Amino acid sequence: MARVKFLCDVERCIDCNGCVVACKEGNQVPVGINRRRVVTINEGRPGEKSISVACMHCADAPCIAVCPVDAIYQRDDGIVLVNKKICIGCGYCFMACPFGAPQFPGDRVFGARGAMDKCTFCAGGPVKTFSEEERRLYGQNRIAEGKVPLCAAMCATKALMAGDADIIADIYRKRVFRRGSGAGAWGWDRAYRGK
Amino acid sequence: MTNSLNDIRHAKSMIFIGSNAAEAHPVAMQHILHAREVNNAPLIVVDPRFTKLAAKATDYVRIRPGTDAAFMMGLINVIIENGWQDKEFIRTRVAGFPEMAAVAKQYTPGAVEEITGIPAAETVRIAKLLADNRPTSLTWCMGGTQHHIGSSITRTFCILQLVLGNMGKSGGGTNIFRGHDNVQGATDMCVLSHSLPAYYGLKDGSWKHWCRVWDVDYEWIKSRFKAKKWMNSKGFTLSRWYEGVIQEDKIEQYTPIKALIQWGCGANSNSMFHKVRKAYDKLDLIVLIDPFPTMLAAAADKDNIYLLPSASQYETSGSVTSTSRQIQWRDKVVDPVHGSRDDYQIMEELVKRFGFADKFYKNIKKTPEDITLELGRGSLTIGYNGQTPERIKRQMANWHTFDIDTLQARGGPCDGEYFGLPWPCWTEKHPGTPILYDISKPVAKGGLPVRNRFGLEHTYSMSGRTENQLAAKGVANPGSQVMGGYPEFKDVVPGTNWKTDLSQKTIKVALSRGMAPFGNARARCVVWNFPDQVPIHREPLHSPRPDLIKKYPTYEDQPNQYRVFTRFKSEQNPELVKNYPYVLTTGRMVEHMGAGAETRSNKYLAELKPDMYAEINPRLANDLGIRDGEMVWIESPEGGRIKVRAKLTERVDNKTIFLPFHFAGFFMGTSLRENYPEGLVPYALGEPGNIVTNYGYDIITQIQATKDGLCRVNKA
Repeated sequence: MARVKFLCDVERCIDCNGCVVACKEGNQVPVGINRRRVVTINEGRPGEKSISVACMHCADAPCIAVCPVDAIYQRDDGIVLVNKKICIGCGYCFMACPFGAPQFPGDRVFGARGAMDKCTFCAGGPVKTFSEEERRLYGQNRIAEGKVPLCAAMCATKALMAGDADIIADIYRKRVFRRGSGAGAWGWDRAYRGK
Repeated sequence: MTNSLNDIRHAKSMIFIGSNAAEAHPVAMQHILHAREVNNAPLIVVDPRFTKLAAKATDYVRIRPGTDAAFMMGLINVIIENGWQDKEFIRTRVAGFPEMAAVAKQYTPGAVEEITGIPAAETVRIAKLLADNRPTSLTWCMGGTQHHIGSSITRTFCILQLVLGNMGKSGGGTNIFRGHDNVQGATDMCVLSHSLPAYYGLKDGSWKHWCRVWDVDYEWIKSRFKAKKWMNSKGFTLSRWYEGVIQEDKIEQYTPIKALIQWGCGANSNSMFHKVRKAYDKLDLIVLIDPFPTMLAAAADKDNIYLLPSASQYETSGSVTSTSRQIQWRDKVVDPVHGSRDDYQIMEELVKRFGFADKFYKNIKKTPEDITLELGRGSLTIGYNGQTPERIKRQMANWHTFDIDTLQARGGPCDGEYFGLPWPCWTEKHPGTPILYDISKPVAKGGLPVRNRFGLEHTYSMSGRTENQLAAKGVANPGSQVMGGYPEFKDVVPGTNWKTDLSQKTIKVALSRGMAPFGNARARCVVWNFPDQVPIHREPLHSPRPDLIKKYPTYEDQPNQYRVFTRFKSEQNPELVKNYPYVLTTGRMVEHMGAGAETRSNKYLAELKPDMYAEINPRLANDLGIRDGEMVWIESPEGGRIKVRAKLTERVDNKTIFLPFHFAGFFMGTSLRENYPEGLVPYALGEPGNIVTNYGYDIITQIQATKDGLCRVNKA
């Protein structure tokens, strides 16, 4: 079965945050919770690059491994989801995640963390599909509608891609071919030291 | 825009000067990056800041604010010196070339380095890059226009493209990116003080033309003016309307301005906003029509203001024009909410209350379709007549049949049409003109020569040479009955010409002969009716270089520029830099739009960019003892001051301060939060950057000079 992935093409990402706002607006994510973020390095200097990052839906997800209550699980298509009714908000997944994907609402009494929230690949959650409860807890279920996640759908420069890993890898591979090795393909100078 | 956003996909090189498309036009970036990736096209970015667009560039050139004309003339000079110009294009389709070349000669790479700070070798390298990679798509935005020589700067961009032969070609052109989807439409309707719709001007003939279109009695319109001369005289501009109230500069009008309607206009986009604010309290009446309360709602202190909530774009329908001259139809998604009304309703109610609705609604029974039809019937100058609501809506329903590269429909109900029927669209059968001045196609198929606007020949005062202004023999669109230049069509219907013949017979006759209604002429390098016939560099009004003020001084003061005394020479003080040592420039950020009333009222956008800031180079900040995130005062020579957070970044050099201009809700250190209507305070408030933008206006258009002022900075 196909496994889904995100891929952000750094040559295309212009740090417009369209993906971030599409995600928040479309899923009504509270202010302060960032299912997706754009990270910029070398800001204002030659070599400035931006990349849009969310949950990577890892093949072997460390968050699943460390979760003490088994609230996090992976679907057959590779999408990693959390069951908010089981999650105890301990934050282990946050420590384990290399990308800072798990988010915790901070407005509970005594500063306690609420249930973990993260990118769902716009696939809703473990309640009845298209139900009001699903929308409230997890946001939209575009995958069930046969659509790509909002962030990728919104991306103006087609930097952010989402879908079947084989297909998006192929699209990216073609882009790299087309740019040519001399056209500043990312990593070229490092790989070949200017040769 | 001569070409279209999509057509940039065909560019072999691109140069952006005074444009930060990655932040101001992010959706256009897909085409720019496409050209870079697929054509291996160099992407040259010329800007005082290392912008987010510069981050995507192959070649970044840092330029001193306000010196764009010098750099362009420098490029032109290098191109001509090396014989890289398109000689055939110049011979057949350009006028005034030798006169222009004689001026460009003064801008040697060394002279350009002295003015712009761009190393001489870099000017030569960029010129070669452009010569080797044709066609070039050239884009500018407000960074090119908002200077006291903005009209000269933009002309140098056009001349560069003429010299390189990049006009009228796919992948070339001068591609000025406009803002959201109806900025071009508003421009075409001339929501301005110096022209009736569609660039007809203010002459008697212009008024009579539109009176015929509206079916309104010309004598009645005339009777509405205090005296006839006001009908034909340019009004106040948006940049300086407030002088008509506060009169710090002398006005040339029989009365001060007494009432203000601001309709879909963010107040804090006006430069020297602290002076604008003074005018609010002196007005008898202010009406603010907007979906969101703008800075005007908070900054007006007296009880002389009415707020009319208007509907957003999702709550109304109608035609809009995009930056690529494409007309599209916008459908209503929901009925207006929160008691707001759409702009058509508000306008109709207003006109009814004034008591002349019967006169202006004769042709308008069905809104908005009849409005599109009426404006099209009158706007013959720019060929808005072929885009009927029916055709526009049919295109909307058949988006998928248009090709992304050519913008032409392949098969389907719109077969052969270009998307958006880009103007000029001469008849209801015409496919639209995707590229202006393209003579490779017949006029009836979307080709177009250069308009014959300025007579048949001219003797240049600079050289004494007389030149035919029509295109050379042998040069015309395929199928033209005249193979060579020809003048505009007139007297097909006696007493009218192509732009005043409402029967449109003139246009149809021209097209049937394979010719353009407006003639086939040359593009001018010399504009004999401008103060600088050939564009030259003049130092910014507030220049950091006293030595260069002497060499490249500004213009004489203008006693009556759009009804107000406007200072040039008397404002250019070489001593100013002693007290205001840093160059101040403004611009946009991607998260907010325009004056920001809408985007700062969106909680997610406010979360991303909640704070006003000033970009300061770390070296300068360290010299001034300012740390990242600390509050600083920025002060202008005009007495404006704002308290903002310092953002240390190498985007700017160590002589330049950059401010985004989207913020409002603070005023010179004080919050105006309490002044907003209850429940409507934007999530993000901040000091308007335009409080500290300086005095200075373009010599022709009076656009405000917000990109090259001076300021001082102190730790707060």
